[in-house]
Amino acid sequence: MGNMSKLLNHSLKKFIIYAGVVLACSIPVYYFFLSELWQYELAEHDIILTEKAGREDSFLIIGTVTVLTVLFFSLLLGGLVLLNRRISRKLWHPFYDSLAKIRDFDLNRQKAVFFEEADIIEFAELNKHLQKLISSTVAAYNQQKEFADNASHELQTPLAIVQSKLDLLMQSKSLTDEQYNIIEDAHKALTRVGRINKNLLLLTRIDNNQYMDREPLDLSDLIEISITASEQFAEAKQLILKPCIYRNIEVQGNRELVEILVNNLLNNAIRHSIPNSVIYITLSEKELVFANQGTESLKQDQLFKRFGIASSKTPGTGLGLALVKQISDRYNWRVSYAFANCHHIFSLHL
Amino acid sequence: MKILIVEDEADLAKSIAAYLADENYHCEFAADYKEALEKIHLYKYDCILLDLMIPGGSGLNILEELRSRNEQDGIIIISAKNSIDDKVKGLQIGADDYLAKPFHLPELAARIYSVIRRKQFGAVNIVEQHELKIDLLAKTVTIHEKEVPLTKKEFSLLLYFVSNKNKVISKSAIAEQLSGDIADMFDNYDFIYAHIKNLKKKLLEAGYGNYLKTLYGTGYKWVI
Repeated sequence: MGNMSKLLNHSLKKFIIYAGVVLACSIPVYYFFLSELWQYELAEHDIILTEKAGREDSFLIIGTVTVLTVLFFSLLLGGLVLLNRRISRKLWHPFYDSLAKIRDFDLNRQKAVFFEEADIIEFAELNKHLQKLISSTVAAYNQQKEFADNASHELQTPLAIVQSKLDLLMQSKSLTDEQYNIIEDAHKALTRVGRINKNLLLLTRIDNNQYMDREPLDLSDLIEISITASEQFAEAKQLILKPCIYRNIEVQGNRELVEILVNNLLNNAIRHSIPNSVIYITLSEKELVFANQGTESLKQDQLFKRFGIASSKTPGTGLGLALVKQISDRYNWRVSYAFANCHHIFSLHL
Repeated sequence: MKILIVEDEADLAKSIAAYLADENYHCEFAADYKEALEKIHLYKYDCILLDLMIPGGSGLNILEELRSRNEQDGIIIISAKNSIDDKVKGLQIGADDYLAKPFHLPELAARIYSVIRRKQFGAVNIVEQHELKIDLLAKTVTIHEKEVPLTKKEFSLLLYFVSNKNKVISKSAIAEQLSGDIADMFDNYDFIYAHIKNLKKKLLEAGYGNYLKTLYGTGYKWVI
């Protein structure tokens, strides 16, 4: 915005410069014509002035012309500024009105925009097209949100059918080990689809602002609960969880979302740990850190993206960290990843 | 035991009925709002499985109708709409349980079992199988009149098997049961072995027969 000026000031400045230049140029012209006229009158009446008197006359003419010019220039200037203000209020009013409305428009809040009736054809047309543009944007946005929500919903039922059929098939009397294992593999993949779907639905719901409520939460307690719930997964990999948690750290947020955030970070650490290693969980006033041993750095730029598959070795739903990012963004917490001393370090700055 | 399945997906309803048939459960179906209302007015059920999104109306209205008549049928909501709001609302109106689609049939069977037991046995809710006694309210297990100390997970596993007796239960169903609501789950199911191993050991040491069989390498069956 540095070199920008308001539309009307822009034209005003040009007008003033032009008027100033014209008036300034007029001074020598006035002088020339007035002195010529003066000389002619003097000659006609056979008056001869002394050199001194002639010079005095010239100064007088120049002085008068300059004073008058400056006077008129000021009049012109004042008039222009005043007129300009009135014009800006009246003529450009619909334009500034529309501008303010567009500026306040927020796609997320979905408040309808109504433009004032403009009596100037160009502005009326501008408003008409803005209205059209905004409604189609809103429609596309809603459609996209609804689509993701509906798609995940609609998927749940067929998934439930397949799952129930597999559970039934498993009850068949004459299954071979091989057939059983095929069913089990199908089950496993189906569970994964179900989880992906569930997470997608969750992401859309957060996008749709369905978790707006906030309550004071004891983060220390939430982490303890999450650790207890995930201990069984850690034990299966012979991992040791080493928590170092300040008591009574309170945050504001939706309980379900904060639980998911903590669970996902912890389970992520468990999933990506080398067996027989240690996971450090540290909570202080300012940050929550999960550190676990790993062999190589994860791809940082893909890490928090939806389906940004960070490591192909241990496939998850591909949405866990996207959820973490989405939730921390909502509460203005900053989540970051670093790889140091053979440790993956995820930090959440509160 | 009579069960009403209010569900517009015939395939799913049929699977549920087929699975429950061996357990002495007799299932009836209602595929839309009107049919569901008709059936609950005409008959009495031990348990009603209620889908919230059915053609012709909302499942929540049916729930309100049932509860306003003060009937003691157990009601389990089975919904594709896994939202906390819905769950809270359903449970507030008086549903006994809420199960989000997709679910494993053994999980559903376990929920039905618990709900019916809770509704019909009230204060003295004890399951007996041979020398095994499970107190569902106190959450204690006794064998030969001696209490067997089980962890919370082991207790719910035992109940899961008991309510799905003589059924093959897959590893993934057990994994789902044990991991609960953790959003981003594990593909590695190793953690379930420890729980099952411990449960088996504790039961055997207390002198209970080996009813929990391993099938096909990774499946389980509680054979009674």
